[in-house]
Amino acid sequence: MIVAAPPPPAPAAVSAALTETQVRVTSGFRGARIVLYGAVFDPADRPSDVVVIVRGPEQPIRIARKSRVAGLWLNGRPVVFRGAPGFYMAASTRPLGEIAGFGPLRRLGAGLDHLAIAAPLEQRVETRYGVRDMVVSRLGADYLDWRRAVVRLKTEAGLYAADSAGVRFVDKNLFRAQISLPAEAPIGRYEARIILFQDGKPVSIRDRDLVVEKAGLERTLYLFAKQRPWTYGLVSVIVALGAGWAASAAFRRS
Amino acid sequence: MHLYLPIAEVSVNAPLLVALGAVVGFISGLFGIGGGFLMTPVLVLMGIPPVVAVASEANHVAASSVSSVIAYSRKRVVDFRMGAVLASGGVVGAVIGVEVFRWLRLIGQADLAVSLSYLVFLGVIGGLMLTESLGAILRRRRGEPPKPRRERRPLLLYALPLKLKFPRSRLYISVIPPILLGVFVGILSAIMGVGGGFILVPAMVYLLRMPAKVVVGTSLFQIVITTGLTSVLQAGRNQTVDIVLATLLLIGGVVGAQLGARASGRFRAEELRALLALLVLLVGLRMGLGLFVTPSDPFVLMTGAGG
Repeated sequence: MIVAAPPPPAPAAVSAALTETQVRVTSGFRGARIVLYGAVFDPADRPSDVVVIVRGPEQPIRIARKSRVAGLWLNGRPVVFRGAPGFYMAASTRPLGEIAGFGPLRRLGAGLDHLAIAAPLEQRVETRYGVRDMVVSRLGADYLDWRRAVVRLKTEAGLYAADSAGVRFVDKNLFRAQISLPAEAPIGRYEARIILFQDGKPVSIRDRDLVVEKAGLERTLYLFAKQRPWTYGLVSVIVALGAGWAASAAFRRS
Repeated sequence: MHLYLPIAEVSVNAPLLVALGAVVGFISGLFGIGGGFLMTPVLVLMGIPPVVAVASEANHVAASSVSSVIAYSRKRVVDFRMGAVLASGGVVGAVIGVEVFRWLRLIGQADLAVSLSYLVFLGVIGGLMLTESLGAILRRRRGEPPKPRRERRPLLLYALPLKLKFPRSRLYISVIPPILLGVFVGILSAIMGVGGGFILVPAMVYLLRMPAKVVVGTSLFQIVITTGLTSVLQAGRNQTVDIVLATLLLIGGVVGAQLGARASGRFRAEELRALLALLVLLVGLRMGLGLFVTPSDPFVLMTGAGG
């Protein structure tokens, strides 16, 4: 009789849910906090790390560098970065560098250092050193400076964040993370990606959607401005002229 | 109390904006200017995207100006005919200015153009007005008779064709200089996000030599026409007018403008001009300062322009 070899341990999986999947932006909106709860299922109880990445809708970034010309600080030509999210947050149980190596992090776009943003307009293809079709960046060695500047300015605006202790295990296998949206966060569809790392490798990935949308009066006015721009313009001018006239009429009587 | 603005997409302190509108409205009614040169920089400083600030500000200027134009027209000191001639030039200028501004934004030099125009135009006009009005005040203090006004106007006003009578201003001049003045002011309005009163008022006094008492009302009348049109154009073409922001500003603005127009009777004309000159000069220098001071971060994100 052949003794069956012990079956390979079942693969670990991660599961998560957002406490809110819809953020309504009304006139009182001053930002939102959304809590994410999740659980790790691993019969073998291997050491696990969780990384949560939240990306907002894509927004091209225009950035310029000031330089001193004849005593005046002037903007140089602006550089456009494509593919940049309007909001980005990376939270993890430990510093990302301890969780996984360069390769997996880069592939998953995990962490501000691995954010996939590029300035395609600043690249051109040319023949160099006899090699054809080489992609050359006009920014040259400065490229990293520009990239760092984008991340730094967006972080200062509260739109990009990285927290190496942002995911906490609150109970055995149960973890929690918090997403803070500032009032300036862009409107649109957000994606929260929850990645379970074991032994430096991503073993399970879950995606959760989050929608930030205008609601109520904000939405009505916004749609009015976008769908009937000329009528909207006329209405706003009539409101202005009417208010001016009303004030002068009121003051005449008094 | 904070309010989220639907077009600007930022949260702002509502009472603060109403108060700001009132202060600028008061200044507007007092000096016969739109007040855009004050309001636009302040709004941008508060974090409102410049494109939205410029467009919504035009709406607020229209409101506070209409409020004071009515007050001035009751005193019969508005030259509607001159205002209409200036505005016809202003409309052409605004259209040109919008295109120029779009091109400047494309090459990333809009910031520079705005700072430089503030520095140059506000600086020069403020400086000239300050010297002139301080001179007038000093002469009066010393008991000297006011400097006789040169009655001979520039010959060009008469030599050009298309002459028109302006009874309120007691002028019979060619319409070409006022139209050109209107075009010039229109271009600047689009670039700087202002009504252009701070250029119109001195230009009407020193170039067209209109009687001082009709200058303020007439300037405001032309501002109402151009900013009203700019508002509709901005909303129609760029969808950048934030009606909530404009309403907050104009609630304070129209009341302030009325108080300002009333208060203006209590000051002498040259004292008012000296005050306005000081204000213009300060804003111009403040805006130009950014060109000379080393920035804390050499990189800038171009918000609202990246679209």
